[in-house]
Amino acid sequence: MPATKTNNRPEELTERLSSAASGGGGGDGGLLKALREVKNQIIGNRTKKLWYLKLGAVPTIVSILSSAADSDSAVIVQAAAALGSFACGVDAGVRAVLDGGAMPILVRLLSNCDEKVVDACARSLRMVFQSKLAPKYDILEEKNMHFLLSLLNNENDNVTELAASIITHSCETTAEQEALCDNGVLQRLIALLEGSTNQRDAGLDSLAAIMKSNSDVVSKLVTFNNGRALNSIIELVKDRCPRTRLLACICLIFIGNACTDHLKEFDINTELILVLVELFEEPGRAGDEAPYALANLIAGKEDLHKQAFSVNAVEKLCNFLHKKAIEAKRLQGILLALAELCSKLEICRTKSLSLKVLDIVIGALKHDCTEVRIAACTCLRSISRSLKSLSAGHLLNETAATSLIQLLHNQSTEVQVAALGAVCNVVVDFTTRKSVFLRHGGAKELVQLSRSMDSKLRLNAVRALRNLLFLADKIVKENILQELTISTLASLVCDAEASIQEQAMALIRNLVDGSVDCIDHIFAEDGVIITAVARQLWGATVPVCIQGMYVLSNVAAGNDFHKDAVMHHILLPHDTGSDSSILLRFLQNNDGRLRTAAIWCVINLTYPCNCTASERVTRLRTSGVVSQIKSMVNDPCLDVKHRVRTALEQCTVGGINSA
Amino acid sequence: MPVRVVENWSAASEVSGQDGSSEHGLPPPFTLLSPGKAFAGTQNVSSLQKDEAWRVNVQIQGCDLEHGYLCGTMEALNVPLADTPVMTFWEGEIVDTKNYTFYTGKWEATPEDDVRHWSRFPSFSPLQSQVEIDGGKSLDLSNYPHLFMRWKEQYFVNVGTDCGLTIAGFYYVCFSCSDGSINGFYYDPNSSPFQRLELKSTNEGRSGFSFSSYELQ
Repeated sequence: MPATKTNNRPEELTERLSSAASGGGGGDGGLLKALREVKNQIIGNRTKKLWYLKLGAVPTIVSILSSAADSDSAVIVQAAAALGSFACGVDAGVRAVLDGGAMPILVRLLSNCDEKVVDACARSLRMVFQSKLAPKYDILEEKNMHFLLSLLNNENDNVTELAASIITHSCETTAEQEALCDNGVLQRLIALLEGSTNQRDAGLDSLAAIMKSNSDVVSKLVTFNNGRALNSIIELVKDRCPRTRLLACICLIFIGNACTDHLKEFDINTELILVLVELFEEPGRAGDEAPYALANLIAGKEDLHKQAFSVNAVEKLCNFLHKKAIEAKRLQGILLALAELCSKLEICRTKSLSLKVLDIVIGALKHDCTEVRIAACTCLRSISRSLKSLSAGHLLNETAATSLIQLLHNQSTEVQVAALGAVCNVVVDFTTRKSVFLRHGGAKELVQLSRSMDSKLRLNAVRALRNLLFLADKIVKENILQELTISTLASLVCDAEASIQEQAMALIRNLVDGSVDCIDHIFAEDGVIITAVARQLWGATVPVCIQGMYVLSNVAAGNDFHKDAVMHHILLPHDTGSDSSILLRFLQNNDGRLRTAAIWCVINLTYPCNCTASERVTRLRTSGVVSQIKSMVNDPCLDVKHRVRTALEQCTVGGINSA
Repeated sequence: MPVRVVENWSAASEVSGQDGSSEHGLPPPFTLLSPGKAFAGTQNVSSLQKDEAWRVNVQIQGCDLEHGYLCGTMEALNVPLADTPVMTFWEGEIVDTKNYTFYTGKWEATPEDDVRHWSRFPSFSPLQSQVEIDGGKSLDLSNYPHLFMRWKEQYFVNVGTDCGLTIAGFYYVCFSCSDGSINGFYYDPNSSPFQRLELKSTNEGRSGFSFSSYELQ
């Protein structure tokens, strides 16, 4: 029976390396053999890499590399290759290589006179720079830029590819993009597109980094050499190598995002969608990144969503979700692409739901990887824009509720915000399923977040509470208010952020909708809420005032006490001595939505149901409201125009009664 | 609202009309058609055999004017075959001449069926001649005091599909912007013709109109 040679076990090999590194036996021949053996064992073998890392092999190899004579090419080549392999695809390996101090040694060896040494070191460094953990190379430093240009202009392909990798990894800011451009890097990278597959890919990858969100650089590339560079990239979309196709697509997406005019004549989007959807099937980076690229390409563009749907993008993404053991990065991309597709079109949501991915998306809310959890929240948020499904009560089940609530107290704000986005939608649920969310403590968590110091969390939490209160029954309202408290609600109305004030007003609007009893909440604790709402209307933004006016309008649809309280607040002149009431101001506002809210309030105050309506009509007449309404019979906003007629009819009847 | 299946029907009158402008604009938002608003009324389901009307409640659940979309639920209260009120979810197409014209183009409705039903609404009369030319594509209805829609029930909310009722047809609907009333005619080649739906905005026990709202993310 064959057996593993005992002297090739990682423990023994590491021991042999250590012994050689410290000048012990074995000689160069033994050292070379051991290095080669380690390298061969770890290539493509994650388990072995982790095993050797645990045994401390990396610092030993770095020490061998450091002490090797420049002439000892064979040892250097094997040591560099082994280090490159450790850094390939394993974060712990990258960390060990970086911590071991290998980078400066590898960089120094790039000027070795032996081409094989340069090749090995350049490849090894590329592996490091492909990792997110690699240090950012300061491109703006003059000597670094010179060094980078020297690498880029090197005749050795591995060295130019290394330069491209450094650019891809380190070029992030507009200043860096422009500095590279000014130093002729763009032309050099475009030249790489004519080279080998590796050269092309490295060039495309770096071009994407230089062009990303930078319309100046994009313009330079597009006009470069009479558009030949652009044509080359367009041609590469059809390349036989999947990775090249992906990178060419990404470059064109960045070009299109910078300015749609550049690609107008090519009508390229349909082709990009087709290529990217096909790439979903590819293993490795091309397949991993294609969903992200698709999501980026179609982001916010409904026509492109339709095109992607028509080439079965939704179906393919859903099919992938049904596969077992998808790697985190790919799963995240698939969820984000599906989220984008489902963000606007109901056909995409219906398709996704019919392909039974909802449970998988809900399951991903509990994924080990934070990014996947965020992507799952985003996807659930998009799917739950389906009113058809919300109405059927399909979206808020026990698992979804508990998983989302759990994410609401996650340590990461990003996760919390993503979870709140999904919660906001699923709690709109028109069936009785709001109670599922409450039963698992959802309201408590939302209330907690509505008191957060982080305004993003506060905003989204208040919006979620507002949606939870939409058409909620009396018990749900009371439960939420008990958690929220009157004083917190009053303080949210006066929040420093206008967007939060708006949501808080909308929340109160929903609170006082429905049963007449619910209106009383606004008068609790000495009417602190209605006072805050009315006071806020004097200085708030139009969206806040619209919601605030609907609060008062809903209250005015209550009993006489409620109506009189509203009368008091809306006819009160401002503290500053202005003789115009808030109601008159809003009826005269340029925004039709605010005039609509104000006219509804008048309709409710003059609603012909009891004898006191006529008293209110009289007061409205003396305060100039009725004559203002008369001047609005031809209001440009159709909704206002029709409501003005109703209000005038009621005021006339009320006037006659009061006379 | 679900209906019972009855005999076929045929023929109706034609009414004259006039052209509209060729400008395209979306209808403005109407607060009475906003999510949460409720309507109550009846649907006349009379047949040759007997006079019958079911009480109907409607609630608007969503409105997306840009896409000409409206949806909600419809609850039939005194359905003879059902033990409980029967609720259905419907989706509406707003005839804004951008997303949808007066021609249905599906659900077994021919342009003749369309005109025959639309012309039952008096407010359609000024539009009819242009609709007969191009389905109303060139009309600008953004300032028109009535909103025309088609409501198609999609599924039963609280009963199974085996309840003995059908939602195969759809409604031609006309909303009056001035008084907030809704009139409609149910169309299903296999059901009694011109079943009339009449709804009025309800205040659910309040002395005035109350409005709730939600905001999807």
